[in-house]
Amino acid sequence: MKFSYRWLAELVPALTADAIEVGRQITMKTAECEGVETHAAHLDDCCVARVLEVEPIPGSPNVKTLTDTGRYGVRTVVCGAPNCRPGLLTAYWPLGKKTIAGIESDGMLCAGDELGVNRHHDLIVEFEAVEPGQPLPGLVPDAVIEIDNKSLTHRPDLWGHVGMAREVAAHFGIALHYPADLSVLPQGPPLVHVSIENLDLCPRFSAVMFENVKVGPSPLWLQYRLQAAGINPINNIVDITTWVMAELPQPLHAFDADRVVGQRLIARAAKDGETMTALNGETYQLDPSMIVVAGTDQVLGIAGIMGGQASMIHDGSTRIIFEAANWHPASVRRTSVKLKLRTDASMRFEKALDPENTIRGLARAIQLMRLCCPGAKLVGGLADIYRPLIAPDPIDLPLDWLAAKLGTTIDAETAAGILLSLGFGVAVHPGRLVVTVPSWRATKDVSVKEDLVEEVGRMIGYGSIAPQPPLMAVTPAQPNLLRKFQNSTRRTLVDLGFDEVHNYSFVSDAEAHRFGFPLERHLRVRNPISEDQALLRVSLIPKLHLNIEENRKHLETFRLFEIGQEIHPRSGELPDEIPHLAAAVFARDDGAAGLAELKRAASALMPGVEFQQASDPRVFEHPARIANVSWQDRRIGRLFEFHPSFVEQGRAAALDIDLRLLQETAAAVEKRYSPVGRFPSSSFDLAVVVPPRTSAGDVARELPGAEFREDFHLPDGRRSLLFRVTLSAPSRTLTGDEIANARKAAIDRLRSKGYDLRD
Amino acid sequence: MLDDQLSQLKSLARSRIEAAESPEALEAVRIDVLGRKGSLTQISKDMGKLSPEERASTGKLLNGAKQELEGAFETKKARFEAGALSLKLDSEWIDLTLPAPGTRPGSLHPLTQIQHEIEDVFNSMGFSILGGPEVESEYNNFDALNIPPDHPARDMQDTFWLEDGHLLRTHTSPVQIRGMKALPLPVRMIAPGRVFRNEEVDASHEHTFYQLEGMMIDRNVSIANLTYFMKTLLARIFRRDDVTVRLRPGYFPFVEPGFELDIQCMVCGGPGCAVCKQSGWVELLPCGLVHPNVLRCGGINPEEWGGFAFGLGLTRLVMMRYAIDDIRWINSGDLRFLRQF
Repeated sequence: MKFSYRWLAELVPALTADAIEVGRQITMKTAECEGVETHAAHLDDCCVARVLEVEPIPGSPNVKTLTDTGRYGVRTVVCGAPNCRPGLLTAYWPLGKKTIAGIESDGMLCAGDELGVNRHHDLIVEFEAVEPGQPLPGLVPDAVIEIDNKSLTHRPDLWGHVGMAREVAAHFGIALHYPADLSVLPQGPPLVHVSIENLDLCPRFSAVMFENVKVGPSPLWLQYRLQAAGINPINNIVDITTWVMAELPQPLHAFDADRVVGQRLIARAAKDGETMTALNGETYQLDPSMIVVAGTDQVLGIAGIMGGQASMIHDGSTRIIFEAANWHPASVRRTSVKLKLRTDASMRFEKALDPENTIRGLARAIQLMRLCCPGAKLVGGLADIYRPLIAPDPIDLPLDWLAAKLGTTIDAETAAGILLSLGFGVAVHPGRLVVTVPSWRATKDVSVKEDLVEEVGRMIGYGSIAPQPPLMAVTPAQPNLLRKFQNSTRRTLVDLGFDEVHNYSFVSDAEAHRFGFPLERHLRVRNPISEDQALLRVSLIPKLHLNIEENRKHLETFRLFEIGQEIHPRSGELPDEIPHLAAAVFARDDGAAGLAELKRAASALMPGVEFQQASDPRVFEHPARIANVSWQDRRIGRLFEFHPSFVEQGRAAALDIDLRLLQETAAAVEKRYSPVGRFPSSSFDLAVVVPPRTSAGDVARELPGAEFREDFHLPDGRRSLLFRVTLSAPSRTLTGDEIANARKAAIDRLRSKGYDLRD
Repeated sequence: MLDDQLSQLKSLARSRIEAAESPEALEAVRIDVLGRKGSLTQISKDMGKLSPEERASTGKLLNGAKQELEGAFETKKARFEAGALSLKLDSEWIDLTLPAPGTRPGSLHPLTQIQHEIEDVFNSMGFSILGGPEVESEYNNFDALNIPPDHPARDMQDTFWLEDGHLLRTHTSPVQIRGMKALPLPVRMIAPGRVFRNEEVDASHEHTFYQLEGMMIDRNVSIANLTYFMKTLLARIFRRDDVTVRLRPGYFPFVEPGFELDIQCMVCGGPGCAVCKQSGWVELLPCGLVHPNVLRCGGINPEEWGGFAFGLGLTRLVMMRYAIDDIRWINSGDLRFLRQF
């Protein structure tokens, strides 16, 4: 939102601070000022000039003039405007000498765009009743104070200059000049007839009518002011509506009264199948969720958003209706979203404007008509239909409560003074204030005493509140075991040489498909940024794979991991989010070392972890290099090598662990001391001869406590797995017989399971 | 007679010890002199022929000579051993400037690191650390935070909506609601985590980033307390004794009053520079006193309890701390970037 400093200064006549200081005060006490920029600084150098002589330049559309500039003397100025003629009073800008069409031109005669008044370029501006050398009437350099719209979301009143001027007046402790004069509103029966179908959706609808209207350009000062506030001037009638919107802020709409059948306007819901061609030339399909302003024959405007072409003001309009309404904010917002049509009016209405503003807006329009369209005649009285306005309950503000919230002392006089300066009504009682909220702050903005803490706090300045540690009960923080566990998991992996990465939660359909995760098991984003970010991941693996593919372009070997959430949809409730650890090792080798490293990592996380060779390869897994990971008899993850077709120029091993299961399992593990034997232990070795594809883990399960020693490949293709069994007793040395019996028992068990043993 | 023999033998043996050039030659000399059949041993056998008086004095000499020669042998032997050891050690020279073989140390993501630091600060002040899901209900993300449907504040956060009607949380603030319901009063909590906004990615915008939510609810919490916590936090994060901050009005529906907290620019210290866009201040975190409607949604009576809440942009903090000029590095998974931390 752009604010003209001059406009504010007109509304706060005693203002002496410059635009920079005003911007600073606004930032510290009201809303975020994003910057202050000077507007049309060159107007100080420009002045009124009279064209004395005009001489054509052969072969050029331009003319050579002798121009009396008053303060700069008589100068030769080349001008290309068709309205350049002797005797014309126009604007001169001494911006240096320049040769145009072979003639040296000293400065220029200015069109509206060159002065920053409007966007017209063809004709130079024209003045009356001024003298050469005088400053341009109503055109002085301005400054534009730009405010972040987000910081105005809760303040409908600040979407106009009056609201901001009221703040500025309060910042500096000076008075606001309110521009609308309700006494100009016409009395008597109206000639424009308005009706409201649903007072909830349209709490107020007001209108006045003018005759003898002459549509034409607005005075330059008015155009210039609108331009400074970022609004493009159109014609006097439209400019009046935008002025009132930018000032009060009440959006108005002007209808050509002769195009409104019977001068009847109805605020009602649209009907199915109705359409309207709006001022922007687009035709909109309407439905009953939308409110419209309609004539008896057709829709004339989409309420609070945009008017229609059918009844729009045109150059020949002579009778006009100014309509000022108050619309239900959520309804305007929903319609605006549905039609993808946001306008200056809809942005204001959706913030919940003050219903009392409709007649203020019309009063201001009547005042401006006198300046911009002097011959026009107000006909009939004010049409004004509204839901009775219910004054909000006063807010009880205990002063000690206020001080406790602020964390500083505050006296009744200061607090009351601040609230009064902002337009609140205040009754001072012992120890408390009873505060009445003004109508322009009562719509969704101020309703509870907490809101008043802000009003007082920001105006005394938050900087005046000294930081203070709270007095609080000493209570311990609740432990977060999962988080703690994840942190130690991270630490462990980093110690083992893994780098931590963060990946997106999104995957594409193509990725899900490539990795064989069924599309229907994913939660889908309804409005993705792009199609390749449309699904929420059910596995960390696709992005882990992407990490491998990206990093192998730069690195020979690397280890990385991510701890992130798998997101599995559940019907009727939030999805199940399961924290997972995904780790990978990439190297340009045969892949075995990477798998070994990941096994070591798993062992570091889960002492005693077991791996079961698996034979159910997923599409991205190396079919002969997969194992299920289990711990404490719970299956907890998967170890695998990526299928070589998934990884170019190297091998990548991966580990995928369910951290929620892991943490639950870890929490259930209770460590207990077992006595260290004081008597010598004895051991014997067993060499189990197995077919080549036998898992050592399966053999080891038959030999609890045995330690794996070696894996020999025999000439006949079989393997010999060497285990060492160590035995001891807590209170004595085992006898030779006992050991021999144990050995025999172990051998028998292995044989019974079908294993051969080497002698 | 024996005495003479002994002194001759002794000086001969000494010169032979002196002359021995290897441990082997020295051992040969030792056997010749002190061995079972050695010359000194021979003399001691001859002692039997002497009178008791002579035996006493010669015996004394003999013992002295034996000790002396044994000492000389040991000294020489130690010299050989020391020489051999230093030769051996010298041969074991290693180039210690070579890089160590094996796995290089890994690295924690910079976000994790800064998150842990902040968790430590708050943990030390009794704040619990909460998590929260990435997928949230519309209620927790908006309605319960005083942002009803059709509220224009919903525009402040471009939302990813999901086909099941839920959404990707746009901020960590829904954990306020979860925390108030889960923790006993008084509540002190922080919640770091991943949040999502439907925004095109460029050097300064990301659709996925990290925030840290904080909340304190007690019987008597003021703006002055909020400022204290924010200053303490920022001083720790930026490793300063003190930081200068300012509060100015900011609008967030779930707090009232709401603030933007700015920190005095640490690059220029206030006068203005490119980093702070010549303002001297850098906008750092939104905060405020918890709105009574939010307390009610958390099952807390706003007439008895009150508190503050804040939201810290962790991703932004990481970028500030390490002077990272492109946000896309953070989720890039590029180890050339990540290994710098």
